[in-house]
Amino acid sequence: MAHDPLAFFTLDRGSASTAAALIAQVEGRFRLLAHAAQPAGLPVDPLLARLAGDVGMAEPGLLPVEGGETSPWTDWPRLEVATRPPRSALLAAATERRLAELEQVVSGAGWAVAGRISPDRTDALEATALALGKGLDLLIVGAAGRPTGEERRALPDLAALLQAVLERRRDLPCLLTGAAAEAIEGWPAARIVLGPAPARTASLAPDPLRSLLRRAAGELARQAGQRPPHVASGRAGAERAPAGPADGRAAFTAAIASLAAVLGQRIDAVDVGAAAGQRVLATPEGLRGQLELVDAALVPEAVLEDDRLADAILAWSTLRGDTFVLRDRVRNLRLWPWRDAAGEGARLRLAAARAALVRLDTAWRLADGGGGNAAADAPADLLVASGGAFAVAPAPAIALALLDTLRRPGGMALAYDHARVLAPLGSLDDEGDRRRLLTDLLDDILVPLGSAVLATGLRASRHPGTLRVRSHGQALEVELVPGAIQVVDLPPGQTGTVELEARDGTWLGMRAKRVAVEVGGGLGGLLVDTRELPLRLPERPERRRDLLAAWERPLWQEDAE
Amino acid sequence: MSGMIVRAAGERALRELVLPRPGLVREPLLHFPLGPADRPLVQRGQLVTPGSPLFERIPDAAVAELELHAGEEPPAPGTLVDESTPLRIAAGRSLRFEGHGRVLYATPAHRLRAAIGRHPQTVSSPVAGTVELVSPAAVSVRASGLGLPGTLAAGQPAEGRLAIAAPGPDGELAGSSIDVASAGAILVAGARVDLEVLGRARAMGVRGVIVGGLASRDLRGFLASEARQRAAMHGGSPFALLVLDGYGRRPIPLAIWQNLAALEGAPVAISIEPPLLVLSADAAWARPSSGRVRIAAGDLLGREGTFLGPAAGLRGAAGVEQPAGRVLLDALEDETSGTERTLPLADLERLA
Repeated sequence: MAHDPLAFFTLDRGSASTAAALIAQVEGRFRLLAHAAQPAGLPVDPLLARLAGDVGMAEPGLLPVEGGETSPWTDWPRLEVATRPPRSALLAAATERRLAELEQVVSGAGWAVAGRISPDRTDALEATALALGKGLDLLIVGAAGRPTGEERRALPDLAALLQAVLERRRDLPCLLTGAAAEAIEGWPAARIVLGPAPARTASLAPDPLRSLLRRAAGELARQAGQRPPHVASGRAGAERAPAGPADGRAAFTAAIASLAAVLGQRIDAVDVGAAAGQRVLATPEGLRGQLELVDAALVPEAVLEDDRLADAILAWSTLRGDTFVLRDRVRNLRLWPWRDAAGEGARLRLAAARAALVRLDTAWRLADGGGGNAAADAPADLLVASGGAFAVAPAPAIALALLDTLRRPGGMALAYDHARVLAPLGSLDDEGDRRRLLTDLLDDILVPLGSAVLATGLRASRHPGTLRVRSHGQALEVELVPGAIQVVDLPPGQTGTVELEARDGTWLGMRAKRVAVEVGGGLGGLLVDTRELPLRLPERPERRRDLLAAWERPLWQEDAE
Repeated sequence: MSGMIVRAAGERALRELVLPRPGLVREPLLHFPLGPADRPLVQRGQLVTPGSPLFERIPDAAVAELELHAGEEPPAPGTLVDESTPLRIAAGRSLRFEGHGRVLYATPAHRLRAAIGRHPQTVSSPVAGTVELVSPAAVSVRASGLGLPGTLAAGQPAEGRLAIAAPGPDGELAGSSIDVASAGAILVAGARVDLEVLGRARAMGVRGVIVGGLASRDLRGFLASEARQRAAMHGGSPFALLVLDGYGRRPIPLAIWQNLAALEGAPVAISIEPPLLVLSADAAWARPSSGRVRIAAGDLLGREGTFLGPAAGLRGAAGVEQPAGRVLLDALEDETSGTERTLPLADLERLA
C-alpha cells in the first residue's frame, strides 16, 4: 500500500458538519490539495471521492501512482477525529461555595451541567426529581479534601439523600471527589469512582479533576458504544471510519501545542462548534491552558428556553426585524446549524459566533483567577480560529469578530484553520510527526486573516495620534481615530512595521507615546483598533446595529450570487 | 434506458448531497417520565391500549417526614406510600403518611422523608403497545404503530381523531374554526398557531394540535399554561402540541399534509418524548416520489420540487462558496410551469 507520493485524507467529524481535506506530498513537501465540508449525517465516502476526483481532474500528477496509474483513493489513509456529544452531569455539594468550585471544573472540562444540588437550594424532592431526569451521565459529589465545619456538618445528610437517589437510579454512575469519598460506605461500589477535590483556586492549567472528567467522558462514550449520530446512521459497512476516531477537541489541543513549538510563539486558539467551544493557550514550552465549554457552543441548547441568551446573540447582529422573529431564527440555528448560511443567515451565524466567543472569554478569565500564569490577560503572538461557526463568514469579518470579543491590548497575528485540518493532525500520536506535518502545511492550512493592533486609551483631540505602516520600502501615514477600527491594506505574505504615535500616549499592555509593532499581512489586512476595552455596545438596538454595521462594512463585502 | 440512468445518477447524487427529512418510524418507543412521587400502574411486558392507565401522577407532591426510632430499618428509597396502607418499620410498628407517594430517604438523624401528595391523577396510554420498561424514572411503551417525527412537542401525551383544521399546509388555524365539534380531535393546524388559539382549542376539548411551526413566545406561553393546568387539582384532559418543523411560521411539508388529509378521522396520538405523531400500524402513508426535495430555509422556505443535480457552488459573502444544487420548483397556482433554481444544498431536505 505504499505509494509515491503519499496522499491522505483528514476528516473532522463535528456535531453539525464534517470537514474533509486531501493532503499529498508535492516535491517532497506535504501540501493541502483540496478540502470541503458538508452537513453531518451525509455519507463521507462520496465527499472524499469528490475531493480526489477534483484534484485528479486538475492536477493528476499530484496524486499517488500505483502501477503507472493513480492509486485508488479508497486506499489512502485517513486521519480522523470526531467530536463527542457533551456528557451531562448532575452536581451536588454540601455548600454553595463548593458547588460553584465544582461547577467551574466540570463545565471547563466540556460537561453539560444538568442540575445542581445543595442543602441551600434543593430539598429532597427537587434533588430526587433532578436525579430522575433524562439524559444524565454522571452524578458528581464535590467536597474539599479537608472540609470546612459547615461542609462536614451538611455532608452526612446529603450523602444519605444521594445514596437513596442512586438506589432508585441504578443506571447512574457517581464520582465522589475529595472528602465525599468518606461517605462511600453502603454506596453501590461498582458505580462509584473516586476523584480529587475540585481546586479551590481556579486555573487554566491542567487540573487533575478536569483531566479525570475528560477521561470519564471518553469512557462513558466508549461504554455506550457511542459514536456521533451521523456515523451511526451511515450505511453499515460502507464507511471506512475506524471504530473509534480520536476525540476532536483533545486532538485540537495537541495540535496547538505542537504549533506553538513549531512557530516558537505564544498561541491562543479558539474552536467554536455546534456542541461546544474550546480555547487553548500554548507556548513553545507546552500547554498553558485549556478550556472546553458547552455554553460556548455556537448556539447553546439553553437558548431554546432563555430569551436573554438569544438576545445576547442578537446584540451582535446587524439584522433588523421583530425581536420575536429574530429569536426564533436564532433558535432554528440551534436546531439546524448548517442551514440558512447565505446572506443574512451568514451574518446571524457570525453574531452567534461572537456571542460564543464572549462566553468563552468570560469563562476563560474566570478560570484564570489566581492561577498565576497570567494567561487571560497576556496577548498572544498568534490567535487561531477554528470550527464550523466561522465556515461561511468572509475572512476579514472573522478577524473583526475575534478582535471584537477576545480583546487584549497589543499586537498579534490572526489566522483561520479554514479546512479544519489542525484537529486531525493533532490526533497523530507522535509529536515529531505532528511537527513535521505542521511545518510543511502551515501556509496551506492557516489562512492569514491579518494582524491586529489593539491600542486603547487614545484621547480625542485635534491630532490624537499618527499611524505609520512601513512595508517593502513603502510608508503609509494616517491619522489615528479614537474609538474606531481602521483597516490598512496589507496583503497576505507581506510584512511590515506599524508605528503608533499618540500625543497623550496609548495603552498596548503599557502606556507609551510611541510604539512600534511588527505585523504580517492577511485577507483582512491590518486592523488598528482604538475602541475601548472591554468593548461596550450602545443599549439602544438601532444605535448598536448602526455601529456594528459601520465597523463591519469595510470587512464584509457582499457578493452577488 | 439513458433516462433511467440519468434518474438513478440524480437519485444517487441526491442521497449523497442532501440530508433526508426524518421519515416514519416503525413501532416507536415512547417515554413517560415519572416524578419522585409518581407510581407506575403497569408492569414490563404488559399490553396496553389507548386509555389504559400507565401511572399515577402526584402533581402536588411535597416532602413529608416521620420519625424513626433508633435501630429501625427504614423502607427502601422509592417504596410506595399510600395513606390507607401503613409502612411496616419493625415488628409491631408501622408508619402512615397522610397521602400518596414514595419514600425518598432516611436522614442520619432518623427522619424518614417521603414525597407525598393528596390528589393523584391517572395518566393513560395514548397508544396501543407493550410496556417495555418500568423504572423509577420513566415508563416506556413500544407503540404498535408508526411514528411521524416532529421537532418538538409540549403538553401531555394525548390521543384523538385526526382532523384537518387549516385551509392548507401553509395556512393558519383560526380560532373561529374551532367549536364543540372539535372536541376529542387532534387538529392539523397548518404553518402556525398562536397561543390564543391553543387556549381556545383546549377549552373546546381538543386533544392536540399538529403544526408546522410555532413562535417560541407562544411555546413559552403554552408551557406556562400547561404548568398551571398540571398544578390544578383536576388537571383536565391531556392536551398535546406537536411542532413538525421548527420555530416561527413554517409550512407543513406537502407530502405530509396530503397523507394526514387522507387519514382524516383516523385515531392518532401525540407523543411528547420523543416528539411524534403516532399512527396506527395499518395507516396508509404514500411515499413521495424519488428526487423530491423541500426547501427548509431561506426565502423559499416550504417550497418543494425535484432535484435535478449538483450545480457549481453559490458564492456568498465575500466569495465564500456554498455547495449548491439545481431544483425544479413545483409550479405555484399562478404559474404554468415550475421554475429551475440553484439553491444551497444545506437548505434542502430530501423527502425520503
